[in-house]
Amino acid sequence: MSETATPILEVRGLRSGYGGVTVLKGLDMDVGNEVFAVLGANGAGKTTLLATLARLIPLQGGTIRFRGNEVSGLPAFETAGRGVGYVPQEKGVFADLSVFENLCVGGMIGQRDRDERMAEVFGLFPDLAALRTQLAGTLSGGESRMLACGRALMQDPKLLLLDEPTAGLSPLYVDMFFEKVREIRATRGVSIILAEQNATKALAVADRVMVLSLGEAFLTEETGSLTTEKLKQGYRI
Amino acid sequence: MNLDWLDAFLIYGFFTIVVVSGLGLLLHLQLGLARIANFGVVGFFGIGMYSFGVLYVKVDWPFGDPWQFLVCIAAGTLAAGLSGVVVGWLVGDLNEDGVLVGTLGFATAVFILATTEKELTGGAQGMGGLQFPYDVGGVKANELLWLVITAAVVGGIVFYVWRVHRSPYGRLLVAVGSNEPLARSLGKPTFRTKLWLFAVTSAGMGLLGAMYGVMERFLRPTNLGVDITLAAMVALVLGGSARVWGAVVGVVLTVGFFDIIVQNYLPVPVEWYSQALPVMREALFGAALILVLMFRPFGILGDMRRDKLMRSLHGD
Repeated sequence: MSETATPILEVRGLRSGYGGVTVLKGLDMDVGNEVFAVLGANGAGKTTLLATLARLIPLQGGTIRFRGNEVSGLPAFETAGRGVGYVPQEKGVFADLSVFENLCVGGMIGQRDRDERMAEVFGLFPDLAALRTQLAGTLSGGESRMLACGRALMQDPKLLLLDEPTAGLSPLYVDMFFEKVREIRATRGVSIILAEQNATKALAVADRVMVLSLGEAFLTEETGSLTTEKLKQGYRI
Repeated sequence: MNLDWLDAFLIYGFFTIVVVSGLGLLLHLQLGLARIANFGVVGFFGIGMYSFGVLYVKVDWPFGDPWQFLVCIAAGTLAAGLSGVVVGWLVGDLNEDGVLVGTLGFATAVFILATTEKELTGGAQGMGGLQFPYDVGGVKANELLWLVITAAVVGGIVFYVWRVHRSPYGRLLVAVGSNEPLARSLGKPTFRTKLWLFAVTSAGMGLLGAMYGVMERFLRPTNLGVDITLAAMVALVLGGSARVWGAVVGVVLTVGFFDIIVQNYLPVPVEWYSQALPVMREALFGAALILVLMFRPFGILGDMRRDKLMRSLHGD
């Protein structure tokens, strides 16, 4: 770990999947106060990993410790209450609710004043302020991702799980989003796990990287020491 | 009070409109906001009706009306609420199909219990002995007053639903209905939320069932036919399941049209009343449902408009 010796998240022997299928096959990882990128080809298990960490998928084995406490057996809502913010790749907003209400739902937990938190989100994503009464289901792809991210930030998370936040977005939005990841990290000091397909952009903002391959950690190292050759091996190309 | 000018059928017609509107409003909270398709409405309605009836008629209370009546009606409401907790706990984590079958099965079980538990319910022969907790002079006057009281209760339900739409709880229900895993990941105990919703709405359905039983004065299992659930469901979908007034508009257009206009003002042959009219009623409701789903799937009033609500609340 680059910036702190005490990991905020410790994962040991993590096994999970869907029904009888095991996707993650005994994963170990430690995440500190940093941006931790998770790369890998389609089907490598990135989305499964983040959904499992958010406790939306039951564990098949292994343990998850968050801020020193075992959270493996906790339901999703209690894990969120302890400071894990999750931004899913798809369906990340409540389509029937307005932008304002989506942020309110995110702000139902957290200690600070809701309006103060919402002002910070609108400061980070000014476009959302202008759309506050609009239904989330009518937003563009980029606006939806901003809202999903803003809604997770309303929880005042200690760890933010971002699942391919730029998938399917135009290059303009992609650049903007990675800039926002930097800004969130710089201004809030929140730890971030960023699952991404866009390796170049992800490596530019991350401190460390893990490359997943067929549900196993192919490598975990500092971004500066990752070579193209190793990355290609992880992607099996 | 001289009420000769008032047709008894009209009182019953309006009473049915009021009760089904109340059921539709409670169903709106389940289906319109939280997207829970409860096909067992009449089961909770029946629990309230029979709990009240059995306690009122079979138990030897140390006090008389109105306290006996009020205690029994409160107990009927509570019993329906508790049955809602049990059913909600059983179906809360199931998908839409599971909820549909589970709630329908519950309503069927209540119907069978009302038919077979003859010692308690009188079985298919029914159970009499219920009466209004007052006497204001004549059957018709008592029924009219009971209609007004029931309308006031349903008015209270309208107010509750209106408040829910504007409260964080209503927002949470929409969030749970819209995307439950996401709501869970945001720290919301969604199962508990659905359980509480089931408890409150089922209690309301039970209260309406008890009030319906009072108006009938004679409880029969045939009061618990699936037509009650269908009337509430069809009216709600027809009016607009996501809108506060959807159920009321739908009930006026369906039950109102049939039970008031057709039965009281159209020259229908007398022999139709026992067999043909009930069948025609169900066929007409079914046809209305199909047409609405084909041509206006969000109902006559349309889909939920949280954006408009937000603009009206926040003034932008």
